[in-house]
Amino acid sequence: MASRVAGRKSTKRKQFEDDVDVAEDLHHNGNLEMLSDEEEDGNISSDDGEVDTFPGIVNESDTDPDDSDFSDQEEDEVDEDEDEEDDEEDESGEEDGSDDGEESDDSLHVFPKAKTIVSNITNQPKIVYPEIEPEYDSDSSTEEDPNRVGYIPMHWYDDMPHIGYDIDGKKILRPATGDELDKFLATVDDSSAWTSAFDKNAQTDKPLTSEELDLIRRLYAGENPDANYDPYEPMTEWFTGKGKEEIMPLSGALQPKRRWVPSKWEKQKVMKIVRAIRQGRIVPSKPKSTKKFEPYAIWSEPSSSHPPPLPAPKPALPTNAESYNPPEEYLPTEEERKAWEALDPEDRERDYLPQKYSSLRLVPAYDRFVKERFFRQLDLYLAPRVQRVKLNIDPNSLIPKLPSPSSLKPFPNYRSLQFRHSQSRARCISVSPDGAWVISGDENGVVSLWEIIVGREVKRWTFKGKIGSLAWCPRTDVCYFAVGVEDTIHFIIPPNVDPAVLTLTQSVLAPTTLPPAPATPSPVKWTTPPSNTWSQDTPILTIDLPASTGIPSHFCWHRRGDYLASVSTGGAQGGVWIHQVTRRHSQAPFKKIKGAVQLVLFHPLKPHFFVATQQYVRIYNLAEQKLIKTLLPGIKWISSMDVHPSGDHLIVGGYDRKLCWFDLELSEKPYKVLRYHTRAIRSLQFHPSYPLFASSSDDGSIQIFHSRVYNDLMTDPLIVPLKILRGHQISEGLGVLQVRWCSKQPWLVSSGADGSVAVWCS
Amino acid sequence: MSTDVNMASASQPVTFRTQTAYPLPSQKFMIPTTWRRYQLSQLINKALGLDKTKPVPFDFLVRGELLTTTLSEWCKENGVGEEETLEIEYIESVMPPQKMSDFPHEDWVSTVSCQIPGYFMTASYDGQVRAFDYSKNLVLGYAAHSAPVTSLCIVPSSSNGDGTFTIATASQDLTAQISEVTFASGLEASSSSSKTLATLHLHTQTISSVSSNSTGSHLLTSSWDGLIGLWDTTIPTSDEVPEPALNERDREGKKKRRKLQRDAEDEHGGRQAKRKAPLMVLKSHTGRVSKAIWGQEDENKAYSCGFDSTVRLWDTEHGVCEHTINASEKPFLDMTTTSNGQSILAVSTDRTMSLYDIRSSPSKSNPLTSAASAIFMHPTGATPSCVSACESNAHQVVTGAYDGIVRVWDLRSTKGAMATFKAFEGEKAGKKVLSVSWKRGIVGIAGEGGLSVWKVGEEKEDAGKTTTTA
Repeated sequence: MASRVAGRKSTKRKQFEDDVDVAEDLHHNGNLEMLSDEEEDGNISSDDGEVDTFPGIVNESDTDPDDSDFSDQEEDEVDEDEDEEDDEEDESGEEDGSDDGEESDDSLHVFPKAKTIVSNITNQPKIVYPEIEPEYDSDSSTEEDPNRVGYIPMHWYDDMPHIGYDIDGKKILRPATGDELDKFLATVDDSSAWTSAFDKNAQTDKPLTSEELDLIRRLYAGENPDANYDPYEPMTEWFTGKGKEEIMPLSGALQPKRRWVPSKWEKQKVMKIVRAIRQGRIVPSKPKSTKKFEPYAIWSEPSSSHPPPLPAPKPALPTNAESYNPPEEYLPTEEERKAWEALDPEDRERDYLPQKYSSLRLVPAYDRFVKERFFRQLDLYLAPRVQRVKLNIDPNSLIPKLPSPSSLKPFPNYRSLQFRHSQSRARCISVSPDGAWVISGDENGVVSLWEIIVGREVKRWTFKGKIGSLAWCPRTDVCYFAVGVEDTIHFIIPPNVDPAVLTLTQSVLAPTTLPPAPATPSPVKWTTPPSNTWSQDTPILTIDLPASTGIPSHFCWHRRGDYLASVSTGGAQGGVWIHQVTRRHSQAPFKKIKGAVQLVLFHPLKPHFFVATQQYVRIYNLAEQKLIKTLLPGIKWISSMDVHPSGDHLIVGGYDRKLCWFDLELSEKPYKVLRYHTRAIRSLQFHPSYPLFASSSDDGSIQIFHSRVYNDLMTDPLIVPLKILRGHQISEGLGVLQVRWCSKQPWLVSSGADGSVAVWCS
Repeated sequence: MSTDVNMASASQPVTFRTQTAYPLPSQKFMIPTTWRRYQLSQLINKALGLDKTKPVPFDFLVRGELLTTTLSEWCKENGVGEEETLEIEYIESVMPPQKMSDFPHEDWVSTVSCQIPGYFMTASYDGQVRAFDYSKNLVLGYAAHSAPVTSLCIVPSSSNGDGTFTIATASQDLTAQISEVTFASGLEASSSSSKTLATLHLHTQTISSVSSNSTGSHLLTSSWDGLIGLWDTTIPTSDEVPEPALNERDREGKKKRRKLQRDAEDEHGGRQAKRKAPLMVLKSHTGRVSKAIWGQEDENKAYSCGFDSTVRLWDTEHGVCEHTINASEKPFLDMTTTSNGQSILAVSTDRTMSLYDIRSSPSKSNPLTSAASAIFMHPTGATPSCVSACESNAHQVVTGAYDGIVRVWDLRSTKGAMATFKAFEGEKAGKKVLSVSWKRGIVGIAGEGGLSVWKVGEEKEDAGKTTTTA
C-alpha cells in the first residue's frame, strides 16, 4: 500500500503541475480522493496508454478496448434514438471518452458519478453530475408507453374496443388490425416486417431493435447472449507481481497490555470450575477404556447359550427301487401303477415309479433333474435350522384304548334266520327263560311261538287288538307267558310242556282253591275259565285292568316270577300296576304319578323299583315305601331302560337318540352318555349272562356293545362298541322295535316294524 | 413220462401225491405255469396211461385249496416263488351235482332218511311221517305225533320181512316212538300200514334227535333238557312207565282227549303202544343236546354234541362220559362221523364245521385234544344246520345251511366248498335246509321247501385206503 500511496502522490503531483490550482484542488477534493484518482487514472491511461507505471489501476487498461466498443454501441443508440443527445455529446467531444469510462463504471455503480470542473464563470471548481438519460433499462424507460394499465394479462382487453388507458385515464383504442391479406401485404411491403414482433401492450407489431436481433442471433447460434462477455479475459493480478509485495507490517504500535496480562474473566471462569471440582459438582470423567481390543476367533468356539445350529438336511440316498435295474419285487404291478397315477403328486408316497432297463445304456435322460434340484434347494432353503419343539401327537393315541372286538367274542354278528309276521309290525318279542322258544306279537293281534334256532312257527294265538307287550315268566319250574292286549293281560301256557311242569303251571295260574280276596276291592279283575274249557288256544288266566287304561305297553317280571309289573299307556288313565300271581291280586303302587310313566323295572337283587317317567328315572324302595333317588338322564323322552344283572348299573335310552349309562353307586348324572344311533332308540337290553348289551333304533340298525362291569369299585365299566347289525327295513319311520337276548347264548332276537323277527347268532 | 411238456414258458417245479388208486411215482415235474386243472388232469391220465382205457378226471389241491385258476395265478396270489417246489395233491373229481326230483310237502320237513334202498322217508313239522319211492309216489303217510317230528331214523332189524321196516321218530311232544311200517309194493298206498310199537318216555323237553346203532339193538335220544337217553329196541309186554297222574280237575278233559288219542292209536297200530323207559340216562351236558349218534366201529361208543359247545364221547356200557371236547362258543347244531369212523364233524352256529379226530387207543398217554383239526367256514348268513358224510369216502361231506345252499366239502380242502348248489327253487332268500342224508350217491335234502333229491357223485376209495396207510 505504501508504494501505491506513493505512486498516487506522484501522479497527483503531475496532475497538479498540469492544472492551475494544485493546492486548492487538494484541499477541496480531500473527500473525493479516491474518485478523482480513478478518474484521473482513467484519463491518464486513456491518454497515455501506459499501464506499467500505474500498476494499481490495472482495470483501466482492461477497460480501454471495452470503452471503445461500448462507445460505438452507444453512438449507434444515440443515432437512432435522439439527435439532441448526439449534439450534446458532440459538444463535449473530449468528455465523451471519460463519460464512456464512467459509463463503464456505471455498470458497476448504481449512482452516476460527479465530475469536478472549473466553472467558466466563477473559475472555481464545481461538481457537475452527468445528465440522467432515460435509457432502455432505466426505471423511466417504460414511461413512454402510453398504455398505463400496468403489468396485467392483456387478454383481459381482448373483447374491448380499447387496449388500456393512458396516463390521463383516457382509453387507448385498439389500433386497427387488418385481416390476413393485409398482414400479408404488409409483409410484402415492409422490408422490416420479418424482424418485427407483436407487442402486447401496444397490440401492434413493433420492429425489433438491432440489439434484440443480435440477441436472437446469438441465442440462435448458441453463443453467449451477452455481447459484452469476453470469455478470454486476462487474469487480474491483485497481490502478486512486481511492486505488490507487502514488506512491512501494517502498524508499528506496541502490543496492548491485555495481550500479556492474564485475563481476569478467564481466571474467574477457571476458578468457578475449580470450585465445582472441589465441591464435587463436576466429576472428572473416567478414563476411557484402558483395555485394548483383543482379537478373538469367532468361529472356534460355539456360544454356549444356544444349541448348535442343525446341519442342513442330507439328500435322501437312492434306494433299490431307484435303480435302473431294480429287482422284480420293486416293480409296481399294474394296479399299483394305476393307484399311483390316480393319486395327487403331494399324496404319493414316492415321486417316481421304479422302472426296469436291461442295461444302463438304455436309461433315458433324467427328466426330473431340474425339478429334483429345485426341491433340494427348497429343502435347504426352508429347512429350519433351529430345533422346534413340535407337538407330535399320533391321532391314534387320542382314541381310547379299547380292546379289539374280535377279542371280545362271542357276540351276535350275523342274521341266522328270519321269522315273518304278515303285514304288520312285529311290536314285541320275548324269549323263554331256557332260551329255546321265542314269542313274537304283532299289531294284528297275532302271537306266534317258534323255535329260536329253526324259526318254525309251532303255535299261533290271535287276539283282538294290538299286542302291546309280551313277557315270559322267568320261573323255570313253570312255563307260561303274559300277553298284553287292550286293557287286559292274558296268561298262556305254551304247548308241548312236560306234564309235571304243566300241572304246576296250572296250579299256579288257576289254583283249585282261590286265595282270599283282599279286604279292599280292587278295580282289577282276575278271571279263569272253567277247567273243562281249557285249551291250548285260550288263555288260562286273564287280568282285566280298569276300563280305558290303554294297552299294557310294558311288562316287567320280578326275578322270582311272582310279581308282574305292567305299564299301560295310551289310555285315558294310564297307570302302573303290580300283579301278584300267587295271591291273584293287583295293586297300584303309586297313588299319584308325576308325569307319564314310560317304563318300570324291578331291581334284580334288592327290593327296589325303577320308574322312568318322561324325563326322570326314580328309584323307590318297595319295602320301605320311599323314594331313594332320582336320576337325571338329560333325555327329553325316555324310551327304554334296562338294569344290569348285577343291579348296580342302569342304561336308559331316549327318543332323542341318547343312551345314558348310570352307575347307581355314583351320582344322579350319567356316567357316560352315548349318542351313536341316527334315529330314536327303541329298545335296550343287557344280556343276562354275557357282558353284552344291545340297542335298537328307528334307523333300522341294532348296535351291540361289550359292557364289562368290574367288581372292584375303582374300575370304571368298560364299554366297547362291537357290531352294528343291519337288516331290518325301515317302514313308516319305524325301525327295530324291540331287542331281546337269548339267555343262554350270545344270540339276539329283534323285531322290526317291517314285520320280521330276526335271530342274530354269534 | 410225458415229454411233451413245453419248457419254453415259465414253469414251476411240482411233485404230485395222492390218496387215490392212481399214484404217480414221486418225481419232480416242471409244469408250465399257464396250466389249469384240465391240463394237469390230462398229464396224470397220460402218465398213467389211463387215457387209452378210461380217462379219470382229477381235481387238484394245492396247500389245501382247490386249484381253480392257472398255476401262475395261484402262485401270485399266495406268494409262491418260481423256484419253490409245490406239492399238489390230486383227487378224483366230483361230478357237479344234478337235481333229480322234488317232493313238495305241505309243511317244513325236519328230517329225511335215504337209508332204505328205494325209499325216502321224511318227518315233517305237521307231525306226519311220509315215505316216497324213487318214482315219486307217496307210499306211506301217517300222523306219528301230535307235535312236530324233529328226527327220524331207521332201526335195522333182521326180524322184519320184506317191505317192513322199524323206524324211530322223535318229536317236540317230548316222546320218541318206535314204529313198524310196511310199504306196499306198487301204487296202492292205502295198503301200506304203520304201527306204533312203543313210546319212549324220558325227556321233559323237545327231543332233538334219535339214532340207532348199526345192528338196530339200541337207540339214543337227545333232548333240549340236556339228557341223552339210551334205549333198547325190544318191545316190552307192558308199560314200563305209568301214565301221568292227573289232578282231579284235569281228569275229565284229559280223559276225553286220551280216549280220542287211544282210538286214533288203535286205528294205526291195532293195539296201544307200550310206554317204555330208558335203559340208561347219559347226563353230562349242561345245555341243549342237539345230536347223539353211535360210534361206527365200537358198539359201546356214542358221541353227542350240544349247545354248551361240547362234543362228548360216551361209553354206553357204563354210561359215563369218557371225554369232552370243549370248543369255545360253538353251539353245535348237528354232527356226524366220517365214513371211516375216525373223526367227527360238527356244525355250529358260528358258521363253522369243525373236524375232530377221535382216534384213541386205551393205552394212549396223550389224551384227545380239544382243538379242532380243521375248521370249515361257511359264508355269512349261512348257518349250517345239518351235516352228512359220504358213506364211501372219508373225505367227502355235505352240509346244508339256512341260506338254502347245500355245500359239498372235501375235508382236505379247507378253504372252500368243492361244490355248492341251491336245494330248493324259488325265492331269492333261500329256504332253509334242515336235514341232509347222503347215501349211495344220492343226497336227500329236507327243509323249508319240502324234500329235494340230488345226485352227487362219490369218489370211490376202495383202493385209496391202501395208499393212505402206506
